[in-house]
Amino acid sequence: MAALLEVEGLVKHFPVNEGVFLSRLGKTVKAVDGVSFTVDEGETLGLVGESGCGKSTTGRCINRLLEATAGRIRFAGADVRRLRRQDLKAYRRDVQFIFQDPYASLNPRMTFGEIMAEPLVIHGVGTRRERQDRCKEMLETVGLNPEHIHRYPHEFSGGQRQRVGIARALMLRPKMIICDEPVSALDVSIQAQIINLLEELQQEFGLTYLFIAHDLAVIRHICDRVAVMYLGKIVELGGWREVYNSPNHPYTQSLLSAVPVPDPEKQRRRARIILKGDVPNPIDPPSGCRFHTRCPLAQFPLCSEQEPALRQVAPGHQAACHFAKPFPIPEHKMGREALFDGDSE
Amino acid sequence: MAPLLEVDDLHMHFFTRDGVVKACDGVTFTLEAGRTLGVVGESGSGKSVTAMTIMRLIPEPPGKVVSGDIRFKGESILAMSEREQRRLRGNRIAMIFQDPMTSLNPVYRIGEQIAEPLRLHKKMTRKEAWAAAVELLRRVGIPQAEERARNYPHEFSGGMRQRAMIAMALACGPDILIADEPTTALDVTIQAQILELMQEIQQRTESAIIMITHDLGVVADMADHIMVMYAGKAVEYGSADEVFYHPLHPYTWGLLDSLPRHDVDDKGALCPIQGQPPSLIHLPPGCAFGPRCAYAGPACRRTVPPLVDIEQGHLSACLFAGDAAFIARYENRVTRAGAGAEVGG
Ligand SMILES: Nc1ncnc2c1ncn2[C@@H]1O[C@H](COP(=O)(O)OP(=O)(O)OP(=O)(O)O)[C@@H](O)[C@H]1O
Ligand SMILES: Nc1ncnc2c1ncn2[C@@H]1O[C@H](COP(=O)(O)OP(=O)(O)OP(=O)(O)O)[C@@H](O)[C@H]1O
Ligand code: SF4
Ligand SMILES: [Mg+2]
Ligand SMILES: [Mg+2]
Repeated sequence: MAALLEVEGLVKHFPVNEGVFLSRLGKTVKAVDGVSFTVDEGETLGLVGESGCGKSTTGRCINRLLEATAGRIRFAGADVRRLRRQDLKAYRRDVQFIFQDPYASLNPRMTFGEIMAEPLVIHGVGTRRERQDRCKEMLETVGLNPEHIHRYPHEFSGGQRQRVGIARALMLRPKMIICDEPVSALDVSIQAQIINLLEELQQEFGLTYLFIAHDLAVIRHICDRVAVMYLGKIVELGGWREVYNSPNHPYTQSLLSAVPVPDPEKQRRRARIILKGDVPNPIDPPSGCRFHTRCPLAQFPLCSEQEPALRQVAPGHQAACHFAKPFPIPEHKMGREALFDGDSE
Repeated sequence: MAPLLEVDDLHMHFFTRDGVVKACDGVTFTLEAGRTLGVVGESGSGKSVTAMTIMRLIPEPPGKVVSGDIRFKGESILAMSEREQRRLRGNRIAMIFQDPMTSLNPVYRIGEQIAEPLRLHKKMTRKEAWAAAVELLRRVGIPQAEERARNYPHEFSGGMRQRAMIAMALACGPDILIADEPTTALDVTIQAQILELMQEIQQRTESAIIMITHDLGVVADMADHIMVMYAGKAVEYGSADEVFYHPLHPYTWGLLDSLPRHDVDDKGALCPIQGQPPSLIHLPPGCAFGPRCAYAGPACRRTVPPLVDIEQGHLSACLFAGDAAFIARYENRVTRAGAGAEVGG
C-alpha cells in the first residue's frame, strides 16, 4: 500500500520567551527533534507518550497550523511545506483536525449548524440550502438529532460536543484526520461511544487517522501501528502487536508496565517498573540518549555520549536504544528502589 | 469494635436557584483500618461531594445533609461540634486533591506548609515542626529534602507537588487518607511513582485510604473494596474481586464493557453505555440508570431500587440483582467481542 503521509526528519524548535536571559542565549524548546514516520492510506497510526513529548506539535506541523523548523512532509506526493495559497487550502480540506477539548474548540456563540457549515463557507462549497442539508446529514451520521443544528454547544454534554467536532471535521470529506486526544476528556462509557464512531467513520469514508493520545489502552485498541515518543523523538515504532507484546525499548516497556490494568488478579501479580524522576526539560535535553537520565539499563559513557539511532529490530519494527531487545528490562530491575532514588533534576 | 469509618445512607443535597441538586443521594459503605476503598463513577456522579461531606468541607447553605450519618470509630461526625470536626480534619482524616495547587499556598515555603498542621494539632515548636516536615519530604521521596523544603510550590514539578501534598496529609499520621483523583493530572510513569508511594506508606502506617478515581485500572491496583457511584447513588459495593469478576449492577457491567481490552489479540468493537448521565436536578423516575440500561424492564421506571446486600457484603442497587437468571444474562452475554479469547498477558 502506498504511504499517504510521509514525515522525514521533522524538527520544530520554539524560541524560549520566558526570561530574557535564556532567549538572548538563543535557547529553544526542542519540542520535536527529528521525527520520521509514514502513514498508509486507510490505516491508523498512533502517537503516544507523556505530556510535553511533542505529540501535538508533530500533528500541528503536519497540518501546517505550525511551520516546521526543518524536515520534509509529503502528503499524497505533494511537498506540504512548500504549498501556497490554493494548494494549501486544498491540502487543509484533505487533512482535518479534531481537538481534545470539545468545550474550548467550539465557539459558544455559534449554533451547531453554523459551526459545522463554517468550513464549507470558508471553502465556498455549496449554497446555503445545500450546506444546511449537509449539516443535518452529518449530524445524523455522528449519531445526533439533525434538529440540533439550531442549538448551542453549552446545551450539550462533552460527548455530544465531541460528536459535533467530528462532524465538522468530516464536512469537507477529508482523506485524513489528525485526532489530538479526541477522547481524553471523556468518561469511559462516552469514550467508548466516540471510539466506535471514529472506527465506523473510518470504514464508511475510507479515512486515514493520525491518532494522538497518552492513554496506552486506547491507542492499543484503535491503532494499526504505534509510534512511542519521548522528549521530541520517536523511540519505538511498529505494529501494535509488536509494540505491545514485545516492546524493544526500555521506555516503552516502562510505560506499559506503569499502566495499571483493570483486572485486580493480574494487577497483584504484575511487577511495575518505577522510573526515577521526571521527564527532563526540552530546552536542555540530555546528551546522547535522551532517556539515559531515567533509564534502568543505561550504561555510561555510551548512553550519555552516543545517540542511539532508530534501527530495525524486526520487520516493520524499530527501536532507538543501544540495547534494544524484546522486554529489555529484566525482572530484578523492576520495583521500588527507584522511588527513593531521588528525582534527577 | 466499631469500624473505622461508616457512612450510612448519606444524602447531601444542594439547594440552588435551579432546583435541588441531589449530588450525594444514598451512599453507604464501611472502611476498616489499613484497607483501601476505591470509589468509581463518571464525572458528576457525586464522588467528590461524598468525600467533601465526610471532611465536612461543604458550606451549608447551599449544601445540606438531608439524612444519613457518618461515624468515625462509632462516633457521629455530623453530631460533633465545629471544634471537634476541625480536630478530626487534617489530624485523623486527611485529604489530597487532584490539583495540588488548590491546597498548596503559593506564597509559603513547602516546608512551612507541612509544618503548619504539626504545630496546630501536635503542639510542636516551630523548630521541631520544620525538622519533622523535612523528614516527611524525605519519606515521600523528595531528594535533598532539606533544601527542597525551602522551595515555593511553583519551584516543584507536578509529581513533586503531589508528593508534597501527600507529605502534608501524612503529617499528623491520619487514620484515613482521602485521595480525590490524586494521579489524574499526572503522566503514567509519575502516576506509578505516586501509587507505589501510597501503597508503601499504607503498609507502614496501617492507614486506610479512600481512593476516588474514574480509572478502573487504578482501583484494580489499589482497592480492597469498591463502591460504584451513578447519579449521586452508590449502585454497587463489594470486594474488588467481586465487583470486577461478579458485578451485580448493569451500570458496572456497562463500565467494564466500555473499556478497551488489554489482554486479547482480537480487537472487536467496544460496548459503550448508550446515552448520557441524567441531570441531578431532574432525575428520571425509578432507577436513575434506567434510561441507559440495556436490561431495564417496566418495574425499573416505577421503583427506586434500594441498595441491598445480595451476597454477604456485596451490595447492589438493581431491582433484579438477586435474580440469578438476570445476572446470567450478563455473564453469558455474547455481545462483548473477543471475550473469552484470552491470549495471556
Ligand atoms: N507555542 C509554543 N511555544 C513554546 N513552547 C511550546 C509551544 N507549544 C508547545 N511547546 C512546548 O513544546 C513541547 C511539546 O509540546 P506538545 O504540546 O507538542 O506536547 P504533547 O506531547 O502534545 O503534550 P500533551 O500530552 O501535554 O498534550 C512542550 O515542552 C511544550 O511546552
Ligand atoms: N456547590 C454546589 N452547588 C451545586 N451543585 C454542586 C455543588 N458542588 C457540586 N455540585 C454538583 O454535584 C454533582 C456531583 O459533583 P461531584 O464533584 O461530586 O462529582 P464527581 O463524581 O466528583 O465528578 P468528577 O469525576 O468530574 O470529579 C455535580 O452535578 C455537581 O455539579
Ligand atoms: S540507549 Fe541507553 S539510556 Fe537509552 S534507552 Fe537504551 S539503554 Fe537506556
Ligand atoms: Mg498535546
Ligand atoms: Mg470529583
